[in-house]
Amino acid sequence: MSTMVASSLESLLRRRKPGYSLEAPFYTSGEIFEADLDIIFRRHWIYVGVEPDVPEPGDCMVVDIGAASVIIARDDDMGLRAFHNVCRHRGARLVLDEKTTVGNIVCRYHQWTYGLDGSLLFAEHMGPGFDTACHGLKKVHLRNVAGLIFICLAAEPPADIEDMARDLEPYIAPHDIANAKVVQQIDLIEEGNWKLTMENNRECYHCSVNHPELTIPLFAYGFGFAPDEVDDVGREQIARYDGLVRDLEARCEARGIGAREVDHLDDRVTGYRAQRLPIDQHGESQTMNTQVACKKLLGGLNDAKLGGLSVWTQPNSWHHFMSDHIVTFSVLPLSPERTLLRTKWLVHKDAVEGVDYDLRNLISVWAATNNQDGELVGYAQAGARSPAYEPGPYSVHTEMLVEKFTNWYVGRMSAHNAARGPGDGAR
Amino acid sequence: MSDAPVLETSAEDALASQVTRELPGWDPEIDDVLVCRQVRDETHDVRTFVFSAREPRLFRYKPGQFITLDLPIGGQVINRCYTISSAPTRGHLISITVKRVPGGPVSNWLHDTLKPGMELRAVGPLGDFTAIDHPAPKYLFLSGGSGITPLMSMARTYHDLAQDRDIVFVHSARSPADIIFRTELDLMARNLPRFSTAYVCETTGTERAWSGFRGRLTLPMLRLIAPDLEERTVFTCGPAPYMAAVRAMLAEAGFDMRRYHEESFDFATLAEVQPDAAAASAVVPVPPPEAVARTFRVEFAKTGRVIECDAGTSILSAARMAGMRLPSSCTKGLCGTCKSKLVAGTVDMQHGGGIRQREIDAGQVLLCCSKPTSDVVVDR
Repeated sequence: MSTMVASSLESLLRRRKPGYSLEAPFYTSGEIFEADLDIIFRRHWIYVGVEPDVPEPGDCMVVDIGAASVIIARDDDMGLRAFHNVCRHRGARLVLDEKTTVGNIVCRYHQWTYGLDGSLLFAEHMGPGFDTACHGLKKVHLRNVAGLIFICLAAEPPADIEDMARDLEPYIAPHDIANAKVVQQIDLIEEGNWKLTMENNRECYHCSVNHPELTIPLFAYGFGFAPDEVDDVGREQIARYDGLVRDLEARCEARGIGAREVDHLDDRVTGYRAQRLPIDQHGESQTMNTQVACKKLLGGLNDAKLGGLSVWTQPNSWHHFMSDHIVTFSVLPLSPERTLLRTKWLVHKDAVEGVDYDLRNLISVWAATNNQDGELVGYAQAGARSPAYEPGPYSVHTEMLVEKFTNWYVGRMSAHNAARGPGDGAR
Repeated sequence: MSDAPVLETSAEDALASQVTRELPGWDPEIDDVLVCRQVRDETHDVRTFVFSAREPRLFRYKPGQFITLDLPIGGQVINRCYTISSAPTRGHLISITVKRVPGGPVSNWLHDTLKPGMELRAVGPLGDFTAIDHPAPKYLFLSGGSGITPLMSMARTYHDLAQDRDIVFVHSARSPADIIFRTELDLMARNLPRFSTAYVCETTGTERAWSGFRGRLTLPMLRLIAPDLEERTVFTCGPAPYMAAVRAMLAEAGFDMRRYHEESFDFATLAEVQPDAAAASAVVPVPPPEAVARTFRVEFAKTGRVIECDAGTSILSAARMAGMRLPSSCTKGLCGTCKSKLVAGTVDMQHGGGIRQREIDAGQVLLCCSKPTSDVVVDR
């Protein structure tokens, strides 16, 4: 980053107006995009997938974060490990498929062979003076939070992931991710900056008009409303919704399942929030008929009506945990104006397609919703490019979580700039 | 007496000479043919085939060893190893015990074709899975399905020699009707004060009064059967998953594995090529020892090359010596570069992590660390 860019980023961060959307360069500038990759995506815990992405020893998954490519592997002791996907010989990419199974990790170029612990086991023609011990794969930090896999590319990752893990485990653990399986993954490229993808997720202001499928199971009230604008019918609905929330909390607490809101979205380095939200009608799942899409419930759950646990993490994920299935979302930046939204659907590992669940029914709500959101993000990006764009005010009733995301982002970027100090900008 | 049939008198004479005369030992180099003398039904799908030599001979072997038979099936000779179910203490005859496998060419041939009077070529005995080389005051014999045969041979030997050895004989079967040698095991338990049996059946079948264990063998079950488990020397034979489960149980119990012995069945590899072998009990594809090192035919399906490879040489080495250039790198079973599909035949593979069990189950092998145990066809 040049000194000029650093200082302009610094001034942009400093003059950011709380309660308002970000200035256009945050969504369009190549330099700020590079700064985002450097500060946000290389120094924070990034959500990349679930334990069942690599269910058995030798299973590997590759995730690209900016220019970095990371192998997530299951070792012979069922442990999870992450390595840079770069051969220590001449740097060739090692694992080429997004998902594969290996014996050892072998470079196709010259067959340098690494164990699943990253150690170099074999390199031909390197002569007797060659020290394999100095050429193991570079490790990447990995933290498994109740089955959600987070990685951190920094040498010293934020330690407060432990707080997040401690807080979220009672919420997520009943859904037993480790004993689920990924039955569908859809990679959607949204034509917008990654922050617009995140901001769009953090509010439901846009839901009633844009998401005919999602608003069947989901109450928009769960994400706030302006009390003065509610009519009598609305008030009844809200009273009913509040009753459902209390009912769901009591029901879950009786079973030792986390339900109440916990929110550390913008007061931690590793931000997160969780809350179990009621589902309308049958109250079971985020499906078109609000009933479970999979007859075999997750983990040891025996009650289908557990609503939907929503989990949000900063900077790049959200998740929905129902009694019968899980939908998990990872946001990965591709360029200043393109973003990968990776969605995975999970059911109990013993559930049989066509017997216990119908795949189309399982994915219908979120496949449709994602496409609708993708379009909205595209519109927002197009607007941010316009000379007429200027930051607008967030609704204090429905966009509090957008503000928390933006606040967290500005806070983390500023903290890094401050820590680096003046003159350190031109590296 | 004078009107007694002549034939009967001479038959009695032959029998008398067999039991009173000192017999020479069976020498497979010379007496390489076995004559089938009897076929016995053990259960509804298990038969014992009893053999003698052509001339009266005494079979000498260690209980638990196996013989290799040449079986003329479908116009070709198929080689199969079978553990000996009889005991060397009854040396006039030798027997194998075989379970019929639906669709299995070898077991079905034996069950349907092999009759008294027929002759087969045989090599052996071989193998070192035997309790008599590991003397111990207390044994635990664990067998699954037709893996019972080597352990039965050992039990029969101790029984016949009136060896008052502390033996707990545990057998796992599908149902009580599938327990092989059940009445004879019970007889041995009556005759030997410290020989006891325990049966574990997955289902009780038609035997409503079944009082044995139900389900699959577990560690708590094993502790009930043999509370002094830790003091015993263990011999195990059965399907690979059974033996894996046993090893896991013993590991959990903290058992000293130096006192653990198992027969090396490799069902996973065999099942791919030879459905018969997957369950044909007592089929032991152990590579023959160096003393009888054999040479096998290795065919490469894509290039059409055929080479010879002896039992002590990896297929990759043999191919390189024959001038073939196959993709390979580490030659130690680490990198997996030589991974190939085995179209037919069996190998002994000692890899270094370059291949996953799932790939092995799918018929893949690493040629650099695979030695043939039969003629093989490689998809290269």
